[in-house]
Amino acid sequence: MVDARLLDEDESGVQASHSQGALDIARRLPSLVVAAKQVAATVMHGVHGRRRAGVGETFWQFRPFVWGEPTTRIDWRRSARDDRVYVREREWEAAHTVWIWMDRSPSMNYVSSLAAQAKVDRALVLGMAAADLLVRGGERVGIPGLMRAVATRNIVDRFAENMIEEARRKAYVPAELPPGDTLAARTQAVLIGDFLSEPAEIERTVHGMAARGAQGHLVMIADPVEETFPFSGHTEFLDVDSSARLRVGEAQSFKAEYISRLAKHRDAVRAVCASRGWTFAIHRTDRPASEALLALRMRIEAEGGGLLQGSVA
Amino acid sequence: MLGLPLAFSAPLVLGALALLPVLWYLLRITPPRPRMIAFPPLKLILDLQPKEDTPARTPWWLMLLRLALAAAIVLAMAGPVWNPKPVTEAGKGPVLVVLDDGWPAAVQWSLRISAANDAIATAARQGRTGAVAAVSDGARDIAFSDPVKTIERLRAMKPMPYMPNRMAALGAIKKFLAANPQADILWISDGIAAGDSRGFAEGLIAAAGNDANVRVLNASQLPLALAGAENSPSALDVRVLRTAAGGAVQGTLRAYDLKGLPVGETHFAFSGDTETKARFELPIELRNEIARVEIDAEHSAGAVTLLDSRWKRRRVDVVSGVTADVSQPLLSPSYYVTKALAPFADVREPRVGIRDPVSAALDEHPAMLVLADVGVVAGAAQDKLKQFIEDGGVLLRFAGSRLAASTDDFVPVRLRRGGRVLGGSLSWDTPRRLAPFERESPFYGLAASEEISVTRQVLAEPEAGLPGKTWAALADGTPMVTAVRRGKGLIVLFHVTADTTWSNLPLSGLFVDMLRRITAMSGESATGDTNATASAEGQANRTETVAPTRTLDGFGVLGDPPVTAKPIPIDHSGVGSADHPPGFYGPVTALVAVNTLSPQDKLEAANFQGLRLDMQALRPAEPIDLRPWFICLAFIALLADALASIWLGGGLRGLRKRTPGRAVSAAILAVLAFGAVEMTGAPRAHAQMQFDPPSSRGQFDLRNMPGQRQQAPATLGNVHPALATRLAYVITGDAKIDEASQAGLMTLSRALAARTALTPGDPMGVDPSKDELVFFPLIYWPIVASRPQPSADTVARISNFMKQGGMMVFDTRDAMTNRPGDAPTPETQWLRRLLAGVDVPELEVVPRDHVVTKTFYLLDNFVGRTTVGQTWIEALPPATEDPAQRPARASDSVSPIVITSNDLAAAWAADSRGQPLYPLIPGTNRQREMAIRGGVNLVMYTLTGNYKSDQVHVRDLLERLGH
Repeated sequence: MVDARLLDEDESGVQASHSQGALDIARRLPSLVVAAKQVAATVMHGVHGRRRAGVGETFWQFRPFVWGEPTTRIDWRRSARDDRVYVREREWEAAHTVWIWMDRSPSMNYVSSLAAQAKVDRALVLGMAAADLLVRGGERVGIPGLMRAVATRNIVDRFAENMIEEARRKAYVPAELPPGDTLAARTQAVLIGDFLSEPAEIERTVHGMAARGAQGHLVMIADPVEETFPFSGHTEFLDVDSSARLRVGEAQSFKAEYISRLAKHRDAVRAVCASRGWTFAIHRTDRPASEALLALRMRIEAEGGGLLQGSVA
Repeated sequence: MLGLPLAFSAPLVLGALALLPVLWYLLRITPPRPRMIAFPPLKLILDLQPKEDTPARTPWWLMLLRLALAAAIVLAMAGPVWNPKPVTEAGKGPVLVVLDDGWPAAVQWSLRISAANDAIATAARQGRTGAVAAVSDGARDIAFSDPVKTIERLRAMKPMPYMPNRMAALGAIKKFLAANPQADILWISDGIAAGDSRGFAEGLIAAAGNDANVRVLNASQLPLALAGAENSPSALDVRVLRTAAGGAVQGTLRAYDLKGLPVGETHFAFSGDTETKARFELPIELRNEIARVEIDAEHSAGAVTLLDSRWKRRRVDVVSGVTADVSQPLLSPSYYVTKALAPFADVREPRVGIRDPVSAALDEHPAMLVLADVGVVAGAAQDKLKQFIEDGGVLLRFAGSRLAASTDDFVPVRLRRGGRVLGGSLSWDTPRRLAPFERESPFYGLAASEEISVTRQVLAEPEAGLPGKTWAALADGTPMVTAVRRGKGLIVLFHVTADTTWSNLPLSGLFVDMLRRITAMSGESATGDTNATASAEGQANRTETVAPTRTLDGFGVLGDPPVTAKPIPIDHSGVGSADHPPGFYGPVTALVAVNTLSPQDKLEAANFQGLRLDMQALRPAEPIDLRPWFICLAFIALLADALASIWLGGGLRGLRKRTPGRAVSAAILAVLAFGAVEMTGAPRAHAQMQFDPPSSRGQFDLRNMPGQRQQAPATLGNVHPALATRLAYVITGDAKIDEASQAGLMTLSRALAARTALTPGDPMGVDPSKDELVFFPLIYWPIVASRPQPSADTVARISNFMKQGGMMVFDTRDAMTNRPGDAPTPETQWLRRLLAGVDVPELEVVPRDHVVTKTFYLLDNFVGRTTVGQTWIEALPPATEDPAQRPARASDSVSPIVITSNDLAAAWAADSRGQPLYPLIPGTNRQREMAIRGGVNLVMYTLTGNYKSDQVHVRDLLERLGH
């Protein structure tokens, strides 16, 4: 029979209580950091971005001058060696800002016997791996409402530090959704969580963030148990962040209804995303994290038009 | 209750069992705790109403557990008792308890006593008087006494180790019943027919009259018994008896020696029969130690069998001096002795071909050693044999041609060289008969059969004391069997052979009886006094009594004899009784065993059919209160139920979560993996060692080589002598002689290959002190007088080689220097010294009709470099009456020795082109050819034996077959 449980306090990711202190966190974090870096490394070798000419620092190519271009672009040094006139093109380099938000609410502290990892672990790994990947691609990465976007090599450690810092605050309550502050145009948001909140709340958050045209990606983390509902018999279900409970005599009779409702909920979330041009993906914790990261990267790249170009170099 | 010995002290409580169905219904509608499962997306379905909310049912096994729990509590409350005491109704008159106390009663003795106890105590409570009569008391009067004293007397009673006759007690019971006509009788029977149980029962009924109550408590467990132990040649057999009614199906027998130490154990099993056999298959020495055999866990005198010296088997070793020839057993002197001893002794013969058979035989510690025509006992064997006799062994010797030719210390009387032949062609006597045995002889009482005749014997020198040493004599008074004490032991000499060549005594039954008496003395000679034994046997029938030493009690335990035990005559053969309880009698050195059962006894169950008796079984056990057990059961069920409830409610999952399961399983995996590596790795390592590359193996060989080289005979080289039949010569150390031997045997081998069916391998030089001689049929030994004599050990090897059927050809090469009448040549003296330690048979010059002259060529004599020397060979038996019909004579075996002086090898010797190497005297080609022919004949004689002498009859045989 499938077994599912909530993570204990000391088991859940970067969330640390005052009493437990940083030691417990430090025990857990390095593994997350390493895992995140490993996942990122795998993905960097997995897909090669197309290189393009654009605004940037490094030399890309010389091309013949086209009539009508500003003459300031002519590279005279090169043109002097020939009868033709050349323009020096640089590789397209644009530092974008990506905001990554990871859900650390109680409902994420959930793992079943079918899953490889708790949802919160998976979300943290995924988020940090994406951050690492993006920073190495030259982007700036931040956490909305917590950490400003920076492009530093130790972005994973910075993420962890900030989250521990936040978790140590007395009045810290992990939020189910990111703060709906409006993001700047041409920035991207990556939201990783289980998104079990009301679709209306999600819509409000997403619309708020995208008010100025920011693009975004929702990754819905789900435990296999949450998708398949493999329960039967006399069961009492407990909610994780409220005191609600449901006692059923025959759990299997709820399966069909639950699955249809879950599908409906996901459709609603997907519709919210689509209305703003955001992408939506579902990731199950029994699948490898790199799979989700790869998909995420492809989408970020497509969205940003070569955002991750040069990340291989 | 329900046929079970089960009762309840409060049976009404059992009515509560009717409430179980109600409990079942209640349990059915009370579901177990649901599983608790945290579920984050619960909000999605929180508003759903359960479609069907019937609670899950309690699992059937949990229900069953709870019902069993309730039932156990109800049963415990009802006060269950196993084996409840029967309720007896009160009578009027006194109670008489008749108690069987023979050995069969020992099996359930405490039960019997407690049953009698209960009867007396119950009577006392009811205000009745009680009395106890034991069957073994016989006609003693039965008297009342107060219950306390009666019970005390009961406690002191013990079963008797024998079977008392119940009828003896009937008179006293009749008298008692006449005085108390209203008495109730309780007979606690042992259930065995022996001791006239049916007659006793009829007598009881008759004495009690019509209105009296005769109750019989019959044994519920019938005894097993042992009888008739028999020490057969291979094992000690014991009969195990049971009554037809049943009893144990299988069990264990244990054997103990006189000190009570266990010697062996064996199993027995009944298969439907009332009797089975158990065998102790032990070495004879251990079996002779057995003094007591008993059935394990069967504590009665009948389950014990005592064994004394009558059951012992003695070990007798037989050594024969004659050449071993297993293909003709009837000619072997040991054959008749072995057959005659086999019924009452363990006869052993040393392995054929052993170097020193006498020593080997003595190493087996026999009680008696038989030497059949062994002429000389020399070397280490001599000391051993002396020690053996000093320590009490019996040496039994038989005469023969070898003994007649030599003397040593181990004869009871001085012997004349040669002996005498009676009834032969040169003697005027007829074969002699045996004289009747003297009174002093241990053979006294045996009938000297008229059919026995002696044709040849060795003679004792007349000397003082000869009649005292004579156990048997011929009709003319010459000693036939003589014996003498030496140390604690005894030397007995039969003045005839152990086979039939000198007399027909070994064919008679008398021979067996004589050997039996001698063997019996071998056991006692070790302990008995020095010179009385011979006469003690003759006076066996005087009435001597022996006092009891250790006797059995009713439970089969050996202890001090009771004061009532009386001595038994020494030839007592009955079973134990009140006067003579079973046990050991007499001094420790010569114990006489008296057993509870005679060897032919059978056990029969008592038959009370058709008798007006109130039969009851002896209650097997005390009542057992089962209440604590039921309560304990209920408690365990309660614990199990609690655990099951917790498990069903998911309470155990919390426990499991916290166990470091992964670490444990990883550790287990690691251990398993390590084990697998160990297991798969080890054989690989071995394989590597086995398949070493040749180079390293070569090194290995080299390292071990020196030791092997030292062991291998230097002259045998790399050719193993067993691979082909080949001739051999003894390396004398004189290079010239050895060269001649090698060349001569080489030429002879070539001649054999060319002329006969035999293709011998290349001849080989051997050193008799080192090399194994057994591979060679013929060894040629040129005598060189200047060489040192071989050691005694070497001589023993040579002697052994000859006994095993090999032939030694000694060549003194002194035909030219040796003249009749002169002093012997140095070579002859050297040879005589060599042969002094060897059993050499009687020799003669090769007669013209000896088969050796006919085996391939027809020869007159054997010539070599010289022609004048004579060739000696083992003497043939005397010629038969009709020599004309037999052109060739042969003994029954090949002569182990040929002595020549003609220097055969030098005459044979030729180089590889066939050119002779040595000149001959007088020296013709004819002489050389005759020398080769003589060699061929010798080899063929060695290989074919007396075949040729039978071959001359082939024409007659064919004619006979044609008819």
